[in-house]
Amino acid sequence: MKGKKLKIGIYELTGCAGDALMILNCEKELPAIFQAVDIQSFLMAKSDNIDDELDVALVEGSVTTEKEVEELKDIRKRSKIVVALGLCATVGGIQARFQDPQKWQENFRQVYGETKMELPAVVSKPIDAYIKVDFYLPGCPISKEQFLNFFTRVVKGAPPESYPQPVCVSCKYKENDCLLKNGLFCLGPLTADGCGAVCPSHNLPCVGCWGPVQGGNWTSEFYLLQDKGFSREFIKKKMANFAGTKLSEFWKQFDRRD
Amino acid sequence: MKKITIDHLPRVEGNGGITAIIDGQAVSEVKFYINEGPRLIERLVIGRTPEEDVSLTPRICAICTVSHKLAAVRAMENALNVQVPHQTNLLRELMHMGEMIESHSLHVYYLALPDYLGFPNAIAMASKHEFEVKIALEMKNFGNHIMKVINGRFVHGENTVIGGFGKWPSREELLWIKSRAIQFMPFVYKTVNLFCTLNYPDIPEAETQYACCLPPHEKYGFWGDEILVSNGDRIFREDYRQLTNEFVVPHSYARHSRYQDKPYSVGALARVNNLGERLEGEAGRMFRKYFNDHWKKNPLYNNAAQALEILYCFERLPQLVDELLEIDNTPEIVSYQTQEGQGTGLVEAPRGLLIHHYRVEQGLVKGADIITPTAQNAEDIERYGMIAAQTLLDRGEEEKIRDRLDIIVRAYDPCISCSVHLAEVKTVEETAWENQLAEIKRQASPLFIGIGNITQGDDGIGPTLITKLKELGIKAVCSSELDTQNIKSLVNSDQPFIFVDALDAGKKPGAISLIPLLAVLYSSSLSHRLAPFIQNEFSYSQLKKSYLLGIQPRSITKQQHLSPEVSQALQRLIDQLEN
Amino acid sequence: MKIVKLKKSNLHPFLQAASQDAELWAPVRQKNNKHSFQPIKDFATIDLNYTRTILPPRKLFLPPQFNMFQASLQGYKEDFSHVSPKVIFGVHPCDLHGLLIFDEFHRQNFEDPYYLKAKENTLIFGHSCWPDDKCFCQSTNTHLVEEGYDLFFSELDDYYLVWIGSSRGDDCLRLAPELFDESLSEEDIKGYIAWQEKRNQAFKLKINFFAMPDLMELRYHHSLWEKLGQACLSCGSCSLVCPTCNCYNVQDQPLLSQDASNIQRCWDSCMLENYSAVAGGENFREKRSQRLKLWYTHKLQAYISKYGKPACVGCGRCIATCPVDINVFTVSRALEGEEVEAFWNRLAKEVNP
Repeated sequence: MKGKKLKIGIYELTGCAGDALMILNCEKELPAIFQAVDIQSFLMAKSDNIDDELDVALVEGSVTTEKEVEELKDIRKRSKIVVALGLCATVGGIQARFQDPQKWQENFRQVYGETKMELPAVVSKPIDAYIKVDFYLPGCPISKEQFLNFFTRVVKGAPPESYPQPVCVSCKYKENDCLLKNGLFCLGPLTADGCGAVCPSHNLPCVGCWGPVQGGNWTSEFYLLQDKGFSREFIKKKMANFAGTKLSEFWKQFDRRD
Repeated sequence: MKKITIDHLPRVEGNGGITAIIDGQAVSEVKFYINEGPRLIERLVIGRTPEEDVSLTPRICAICTVSHKLAAVRAMENALNVQVPHQTNLLRELMHMGEMIESHSLHVYYLALPDYLGFPNAIAMASKHEFEVKIALEMKNFGNHIMKVINGRFVHGENTVIGGFGKWPSREELLWIKSRAIQFMPFVYKTVNLFCTLNYPDIPEAETQYACCLPPHEKYGFWGDEILVSNGDRIFREDYRQLTNEFVVPHSYARHSRYQDKPYSVGALARVNNLGERLEGEAGRMFRKYFNDHWKKNPLYNNAAQALEILYCFERLPQLVDELLEIDNTPEIVSYQTQEGQGTGLVEAPRGLLIHHYRVEQGLVKGADIITPTAQNAEDIERYGMIAAQTLLDRGEEEKIRDRLDIIVRAYDPCISCSVHLAEVKTVEETAWENQLAEIKRQASPLFIGIGNITQGDDGIGPTLITKLKELGIKAVCSSELDTQNIKSLVNSDQPFIFVDALDAGKKPGAISLIPLLAVLYSSSLSHRLAPFIQNEFSYSQLKKSYLLGIQPRSITKQQHLSPEVSQALQRLIDQLEN
Repeated sequence: MKIVKLKKSNLHPFLQAASQDAELWAPVRQKNNKHSFQPIKDFATIDLNYTRTILPPRKLFLPPQFNMFQASLQGYKEDFSHVSPKVIFGVHPCDLHGLLIFDEFHRQNFEDPYYLKAKENTLIFGHSCWPDDKCFCQSTNTHLVEEGYDLFFSELDDYYLVWIGSSRGDDCLRLAPELFDESLSEEDIKGYIAWQEKRNQAFKLKINFFAMPDLMELRYHHSLWEKLGQACLSCGSCSLVCPTCNCYNVQDQPLLSQDASNIQRCWDSCMLENYSAVAGGENFREKRSQRLKLWYTHKLQAYISKYGKPACVGCGRCIATCPVDINVFTVSRALEGEEVEAFWNRLAKEVNP
């Protein structure tokens, strides 16, 4: 794209900062990235940050404090495109498991006691619980290739493409033996691809850290795992670890039927 | 009163801040806080299997992911009595070096150096220092590469599991690491020389305690089963709580820690202070060349210590690869049947001591305790922040406070996500003393100590208030009635005390300030009247809870009565304390 | 067709000679006793005692992901970096048939230069095999092979009978003629016939492919497809490991610091939800059952009607791969009206809790 450089902001809400770090991990491409766009705000990388009108805002992390709710709404107002960056922003992250406010309170008290905190917290949610999200880049954390491809498309004015496919596709590209077929608890068929099937390529079953893939057949894999001897509770727990808020509807229906 | 706020600290990993409140001539508050919300990770793992735990907990922090993985795995192996072969430990050490190199080179060059060379960020710095920025990025990339080869990916790799590795790297991959490490050596020397000779400001300087893992051998290293404190104390891993003594503070979702009631520091500087004598080879030579007394009391030298550790890692890498290549049969994952147990894993994350502790029952996690380095450093960050702010204020260099707070926090290389965001300086006309005073009264009954002379006009505010308080039945005493000895006899060790004194803070007459005693102690101009009462006689936590209640005088001349403004202030104080 | 004899002890010297100017690929044992075609540096790593590799050899001609060309305003530059001289040794008859079907696909209507160029640069050495409980190439009539290779090695006691399938294969032999024996004895011939008969008896799995086109039609609206759809994980594995599947996706990857894009090609699968998605957000095969029906129509019906043979070569990879046991065998049984226990029981539970 010719003419004016796009104004970009990179923001971190609650999370491990792994997605922002993955951007800094594009060591070779970093100078080109800073050259191609006008990075207005990127706390991890620079001091002279400005919160102004943006073309693209990349938001990492879950919404876990009241202040973040306000920050996020402000980012949305200022930005033409908002991108959810990473698992926490797309599904709420591992911390989004306690959705029941009462349970969350209980667990909160276990850690912080009765102290009244200065920064009021809220139950962790993905950013689309509060604002409209234009694109999602899942992953815990996002991968370099995935980010660069996405970023370049945005810079060049090409609409980013999403290819919702399960980890199994990359796993077959790598010619791995199917771990699920071998009786291991592998979440590959239910998990969005993007990591390149790292774990199965290291002989380890997929833990699901890219979050649920669009169109995943959770019911069938649930029964398959039960058939392989895993207990109902165990399966549900493992499936929940990286699914955030995105499976709550599914489990409601599933539990009703079962 | 003025407040200096760095709400979102730039160039640190994660989102945190530091606030300093300046009340006239005193810094009334320095708080290091986290803008991130609570993730409740220790609760998320309850009811999960040990395998799920070691996959979930590294997600606490991206930049320390490998250290978290190792701490979790070591804790679980201790809990479940899993013994891994020597080779597995060697490969883990190699992977750990990858994280040290990646994190340290990112921090010293990318996050810290722009401060000392006067640039807003490393990309801007590249215009003048292209070579350093470029090679530093390559070095960081190399650290990442090591983690990817061994742990499966840059961040949150899963190849490290309880009992070993899913897949062992190939001979070619290991040899590549070795040859690349050797190529970096000239730049590594340059790094040590650069960061050991940077012009670090001498504010703040103060003694502190340092804690780190004590390696089981006679050498330098990043893990152990004991903690070594700079006073010589050694703490076995399972007794780690003796060191950490965590407590919740309202302004942060990371709990703070103190050892023997005093703040302590962890990190590269702690390791070099405690174990530097063990450094061998070139790292040892450089240590002897550059180490001096400043390293023992100035947190900014953490940058130098990290540079020294980069050298240590680059010297160790080729040796490690050679040892690994001697292995013919790569070890299988050690399996285990144990379903119950409790154990602790200690490792040094790049930014300091990291502790994971678990209790496992019936094959599931029943209890988890994770203590991150940044959380342990929080108290010392606040203390050094206060020392720096107060000293600069005394010297009339208030405009420097903000930047100095910024570089202190950054020197600690906090990874905010595991705990903690950056600096705020606020100046206020009057502190919210009413609420604060009410809060202190609610929590403990404080002893009021009046200082001053009733024959010197507004200087008599101290004794005058004390007389009134005594009438109200509030525990109070005039300084003239006591010497240092009997303050202690009047309060318990957990009770705070509040000095009342006329305080010239250049404000409107009658303005009231409630200033933490610690701030007063760090100020040469404020402390002289209090010094006789509080010389080292009190514990850190008691001092931290205690305050100076200062009232701005109109005039201190020889007369028997208070000025109208100060009389009004007196009335406000009485009204407040009556309730 | 000329047939010669090669002592087993002469195999490695021959491979050495044949792969002098090319990269040798052959089956190598992986974890869990599975095999994969891998580049060979040490002949000792070649393991001919295998049934099927996880991926069929088509990966060597059209890799899972590769760059086709770089496009810019100035034009485009083709990228053939995935093509290099190769010798593939140890390809079984089913996979040779798979490659023959592949040839047809990529020559019909439009020639696919990326496939054909790779094919030109590759010598294919077939190898005889022995069926396991998942092989059904006898049913697809792909257990024997007459073309599609440069050389074919039939393993007998301590020697191979080597079929020469092309002039390039013949040239290869001439690189080391001293290693071969041109005279076959009566004994050798009898030995080969006996081996073949014994092998014919060894097939356990049989599928009646002749009946499949009719059954596909008759049961096109049968509830079995819904049941299969409920079980299918739509992971794409069945088609990704299939020697005759050839669908691909094309993605533009713009380059950050140039005004150009890489146009990349990667394997696709009709089992994936997005496969039939079109512009405007419509998806004409949104349901898993519809996607399964498409794949099985292709494998069991459409290709037979057009070419007189199924688009299935009986390699058994879908049986070895599908985690929920939806494969050519179980689906054919279901089409014949049988209840296939492997997934039927689980599904029954699922559908009627």
